[in-house]
Amino acid sequence: MIGNRNRRSWFICTGLLLLMAVMTLSGCGAATKTEDSSGKGENTSAQQTQADKKLVMAYTWKPSGVDPHGDNSWDVMRSGAGETLIRLNEKLEPVAWLAKEWKHDSPNVWSFSVQDKVTFHNGKSMDAVSVKASLLRSIEKSHLAKDLLDVKSIDVTGPLTLKITTNQPNAALVSNLADPSTIVLDVASMKDEQSYPAMTGAFKIKAFNKDQSLVVERYDGYWGEKARLAEATMKFITDGNSRLMALQSGEVDVATDIPVDNAEVLKKNDKLQVLSAPSLRTHMIVYNMESPVFKDATNRKVVDSLIPRASIVSAVMRGFGTEASSPFPSILPFGKIERKALDGTTEQLLTKDGWQKDAQGTWTKQGKPFEVTLLTFPQRPELSVMAEVIQSQLLNEGIQVKIRKVENIDEALTKNDWDFAMYSMLTAHTGEPQYFMDMFYSSTSEANVSRYASKPLENILHSLKLAKDTAQRNAVTLQALDIINTDLPQSFIVHPDNVFGVKKGVKGFTPHPIEYYYITAQSDIAE
Amino acid sequence: MIRFILERVAQLPIIVFVVSTLTFILMRLAPGDPALILLTAHNVPASGEALTALRNELGLNEPLHIQYVNWLRDVFTGHWGTSYVSKESVLNELWSRLPATVELALAGFAVMAVLTLGMGLAASLKVSGPLDRLGRLFALLGSSIPSFWLGFLLIYLFSVRLGWLPSMGREDWSHLVLPALTLGAGLGTVQARVLRAQMLELSDRNFVKAARARGFSRMHILFFEIFKHAVLPMITLLGTNLSFMLAGNVIVETIFSWPGLGKYFIDAITQRDYPVIQGYVMFAAFLIVGVQCLVDVVQTVIDPRLRLR
Repeated sequence: MIGNRNRRSWFICTGLLLLMAVMTLSGCGAATKTEDSSGKGENTSAQQTQADKKLVMAYTWKPSGVDPHGDNSWDVMRSGAGETLIRLNEKLEPVAWLAKEWKHDSPNVWSFSVQDKVTFHNGKSMDAVSVKASLLRSIEKSHLAKDLLDVKSIDVTGPLTLKITTNQPNAALVSNLADPSTIVLDVASMKDEQSYPAMTGAFKIKAFNKDQSLVVERYDGYWGEKARLAEATMKFITDGNSRLMALQSGEVDVATDIPVDNAEVLKKNDKLQVLSAPSLRTHMIVYNMESPVFKDATNRKVVDSLIPRASIVSAVMRGFGTEASSPFPSILPFGKIERKALDGTTEQLLTKDGWQKDAQGTWTKQGKPFEVTLLTFPQRPELSVMAEVIQSQLLNEGIQVKIRKVENIDEALTKNDWDFAMYSMLTAHTGEPQYFMDMFYSSTSEANVSRYASKPLENILHSLKLAKDTAQRNAVTLQALDIINTDLPQSFIVHPDNVFGVKKGVKGFTPHPIEYYYITAQSDIAE
Repeated sequence: MIRFILERVAQLPIIVFVVSTLTFILMRLAPGDPALILLTAHNVPASGEALTALRNELGLNEPLHIQYVNWLRDVFTGHWGTSYVSKESVLNELWSRLPATVELALAGFAVMAVLTLGMGLAASLKVSGPLDRLGRLFALLGSSIPSFWLGFLLIYLFSVRLGWLPSMGREDWSHLVLPALTLGAGLGTVQARVLRAQMLELSDRNFVKAARARGFSRMHILFFEIFKHAVLPMITLLGTNLSFMLAGNVIVETIFSWPGLGKYFIDAITQRDYPVIQGYVMFAAFLIVGVQCLVDVVQTVIDPRLRLR
């Protein structure tokens, strides 16, 4: 028989367990309350009036903070809270934003005048002094801003004018000022830990809930056209399937970065639509120029010619992409180029180069088969599928490919035990070719993953820095691309599209090749 | 009891040392340069100058033994370093996410405990009865359906099709239902079978026969004789699962965008945020030791004979 004491103990433990369960379920509401009162699960857009229209977006990335000069500048820009001196239009040309006009005084010197009547979110007026302070802070905090602007000095020349002097000629300065790392803010607002950064956008930050959401509300003192939405919420949902389901369940109005496999599901839903825009990203193969096989240009050219780009676009990308012929997509004026045709058939070129087919149909040279290692990585699943398609195609032509999946592609590329690798890069993130080409093709750059060195190309890249106008810059870029497409340190496969799922009734959400402008003053939702 | 707890506390520095050393070594063996990952977050190439500057800033250019000594010093002085990504104290970052993880773990635990007790007891009432067979079916499903799949099924049914519950986020109690079910259902249905087996094994013991001979009711025997003895080994199992839920909710947190420690840990691994990874492993070690300590205490309260061992 149980003693009274033991029975009491047993009751206490069981009771505690049940109490814990009840407390957990009933108390979580209070514990989970966030600063954001807007982000209710159900989107009540149907009942929203003009005054309180709210939009909820499922967003892929999860910023660690809202300092636009830190690593989260893209997220802040996408929320509609931050603005830069320069904006990129749909043709990716630099146009005035916070800057009113500019002048190229000499290869190293630019003069800018900034908009008047602009106020920060804390009510202070923006002038040349505050813009200078903001730019200096962005250079101090962001390595990318420092590289892009390459500033030697900034001088305030009037209440609304300033002069920027660069260390070297930097003809891309104007476009580079569209990079989100140069968002203009009131530097003093960053010292107050209780408030959010005071920027100049149509929306101001209302709440930032770490790992959960960024909420912005309409800024009534905005200098331009007032925002149509009262509030917008970016919910951080990193898993692609979860984003899709949040859209299907009606919890969000817009979902970014929809996996192409899921786009078909959305198309069948009559309440939703799929929007896409060409991106400035390029999926490519990078060749190891120190590989015994691929240091020979003929072998690179043969492999390049055998890549089934059209099949990849239709089967792997499900039509959400375009065939690539250069690092830059054809939406850019310097991206419209033809891929160079092979001087003869694969057979002719390889035979001329000393290769011959053995009894199994594999190309061999001096007794060694044409066998190469292709690296791929899991973070972009479509690249691994492409790798298999390419492997199959090359095998049909007598070239053996061993695929090796690595966890960290950048780390793997620093070693020498690979021949070629799947890779993906944003190649013109400010609509300008110069930064990418300097980083990717300079013989001294750590980002030159192919270890490619070309003196003629480096000379052309130097002249690109001195080019004065757009026409000249485009012409010089095309010269550079001609060298790249002749030497083929990379094979450019496809420019993928950015795919969005959008609830019908959402207006003013225009997918843009530049991935900075998601929530804007024009964003709207049906009443 | 106090001596027992003090012994456990005294073991903590040794556990901290071993765990921190192992984590440090394993992290440094793993591929990936945090500076490169940070600078190329949007796949925009980074310059060599920026990489060198950031490596210096993060202390990654120091020799490994210096990095290790710095890390150990930080651990034992309670700093735990600064996140490479957010530039905030690792300890603060972990603390701020702990409530979400504890909330989900306790809710999942409650689901698991209710299922274990309810289904286990029900199944043991009549061997091969309808409830027993239903319990077997649920256990089969619970052990064979992966939690990510169960999570998506629940979202599809209750959020997409029926629109009853939210599919993601952490706002009010309704956001907790689906992740808690996903977390607790699989384990609960399986553990119910363990409880049932324990109950059936004990029902043939002499003390149960003696209770029957004394004329106690069936329910009295079931709850106060058999269940009391069967629950003791179950507590160890439940405690282990609670530790697992507290330290490893990664999949459920990812599916439901639940802002807890597990999700944060996975992001830190992706970004090679060494101080956070090291800090999280330490934190998890503390949690697991703490929960195991609690399990031991609960067991000795229930069965005082254990204090003599």
